[in-house]
Amino acid sequence: MKNDHNTLSISNRRSFIRSSSLLAGGVFLSAPMFQSCSGASDQLTIGVAFDTLQTEYWVASIETMRSELKKRNYRMVESVADNDANRQFEQVKSFIARGVDGIIIAPKDAQSVVKMIREANSANIPVVIYNRPPEESDAQSVTIVADNYEITKATIKYMAEKARESGKKYKAMILIGDLGDINAIQRRDGYLDVIKDYTDFIEDAARVPTEWDNEKALARITNALQANPEINFIFTSSDLHLPALASALKTAGKYHKIGEDGHVLMGGFDGDATAYQMLVDGYLDADGVQDMFFESEQAVQAIVDLREGKTPPSIIKDPGFVIHQDNIEEMSARMWGAQV
Amino acid sequence: MSKELMSQLYDSGVKWITRGFTSEFFTLYVSLTYFCVFWFISPNIASWYNLGNLISNLLPLFVLAIGQTVVMITAGIDLSITSAVSLASVVGTMMMTSGAAPEFLITPAGVVMMIGVGLMVGMLNGAAVVWLEMPPFIVTLTTMIFARGLAIWITQSQNIFNLPSVFNSLDAYALPVTVIVFAVSAVLLKKSLLGRWIYAIGHNSKAALISGVNVNRTLLFAYAFSGLCAGVAAVLYTARIETGSPTMGDKILLDVIGATVIGGTSLFGGKGKMLWTLYGVLFITLLDNTLNMYGLPFSIIIIAKGAVILSAALLDAFRNKMLVFS
Repeated sequence: MKNDHNTLSISNRRSFIRSSSLLAGGVFLSAPMFQSCSGASDQLTIGVAFDTLQTEYWVASIETMRSELKKRNYRMVESVADNDANRQFEQVKSFIARGVDGIIIAPKDAQSVVKMIREANSANIPVVIYNRPPEESDAQSVTIVADNYEITKATIKYMAEKARESGKKYKAMILIGDLGDINAIQRRDGYLDVIKDYTDFIEDAARVPTEWDNEKALARITNALQANPEINFIFTSSDLHLPALASALKTAGKYHKIGEDGHVLMGGFDGDATAYQMLVDGYLDADGVQDMFFESEQAVQAIVDLREGKTPPSIIKDPGFVIHQDNIEEMSARMWGAQV
Repeated sequence: MSKELMSQLYDSGVKWITRGFTSEFFTLYVSLTYFCVFWFISPNIASWYNLGNLISNLLPLFVLAIGQTVVMITAGIDLSITSAVSLASVVGTMMMTSGAAPEFLITPAGVVMMIGVGLMVGMLNGAAVVWLEMPPFIVTLTTMIFARGLAIWITQSQNIFNLPSVFNSLDAYALPVTVIVFAVSAVLLKKSLLGRWIYAIGHNSKAALISGVNVNRTLLFAYAFSGLCAGVAAVLYTARIETGSPTMGDKILLDVIGATVIGGTSLFGGKGKMLWTLYGVLFITLLDNTLNMYGLPFSIIIIAKGAVILSAALLDAFRNKMLVFS
């Protein structure tokens, strides 16, 4: 069958091939020359590559970095990979092509970021990893990360002690997040390591992976509450899921304030605005807070230090803290969710 | 300047623009113009490093779009390619890290496994479209959901890391691999009987059937070929980030379909060429690359990308109307 869509004659085609070859050849061959003629601004540029801006935590982090970099007279260029590791890799390479002076990456996962760090290392560009530590490798970077394990342990301990005070028996559920995320794993481990010390009155009844997706979280919490209607102790590994949790509890008729009959002991992790409001309103018992201001400032400071030839530690841990009903007035000034 | 000369200049200008619009190289012209404009705004776009980036970003997307082009020419669509990439990526990498094959066979076995999984997903689609006579949109949407769920289930959402160094080094062979896939598919469409059947089915499947075209086998081939391309793309994407991931291709469906349509392949079938798809992929890759380099906020990038793709689609519709009247 003859393809009738080709509107070009053979001579047109030849002329096109000639002219486009000339254009493409000219562009490719003269590109480095043109590039070397272009002026560069004195202001240094830092590329900030985030995996997502899906939650308040990431939005607040990138905004804090922006203002911190501006304070230090750095220009910030940003990219968001929309949960796509390949796209993030392309974005980091674009930063390198742009000739940035440092890169901060909040990666999709611990594994794929290693290749990105290697690319930056090859280009001699300092790189800082924000919030998710990379897999162990020979790639050189500085990581800023919350002490997920210890912060979770402290949060769960507070909740467990509250459970002990009540004298009741508890059935516990954890919303784990994404099993591919090391932060989720550390929070799960912190939770389990505390729960096992309180087995006389807390039973580990349900573990719900949510993949950091609120729709999946809502469906799976609802299912878990139907399968285990006696669940009355819930920890979510991210405040991201608090709205889904509240919604599922309301549907199950279990959403009650502290002190009311049927109150479900609830704890979260992150320190976002929803958690703060739920603490103030008396629905949330405790929240493990990542000190976002500390982490963002340290990420910028680490890039500055690396650029100045200093050697900051390869892992900078944010000790975080727990905010709960007994210290809310004292600690809310340090909770980033109370400030945004 | 005389009125006559002005009129001649005007006429030749209109002819030149009309020829540009109606040319099959239209998307390439747009891409080159776009590149040149951005070159002046951000000279780094033309650095050797970034040109390498552009090519490296373009290759796996092009392999996926090649498969999509074949399916679209038959008036079908394959929404499952992204999940086929994820599933192929995790199955292949799990095999490579499981120690199930002897050391010297690990990488070839992993590659064969990835391509095989892609092919199987494609054949499943083809079988459902041909023998169950289900609409391609529903079939491939269902396969997409199924394959994605399967990839997450078998990995429990975990990435697979520490792949053999030989496999990771396959990233360096992305160009020849893509050239081979491109050459085979271009020859297939242009020179083979099967290629003519693919176009015939896209134009009118009933007429094609009456004319003696083996519609069922051709459709089965088209979907299997798309799945095979997804398997090859899985190898390229996985080797590139040295990680098998159950969410690997989740976000690229719009890019694949967008690139294929912008290149000129018709969503209604019967029209398309591999070279056009290359131009479409070049355009989408350029767009992503330049917007990233410019360091615009994420929201602006999304808006800009959507607006540019919409403009390209509108221009394409306008171009098709001009083609009808010219």
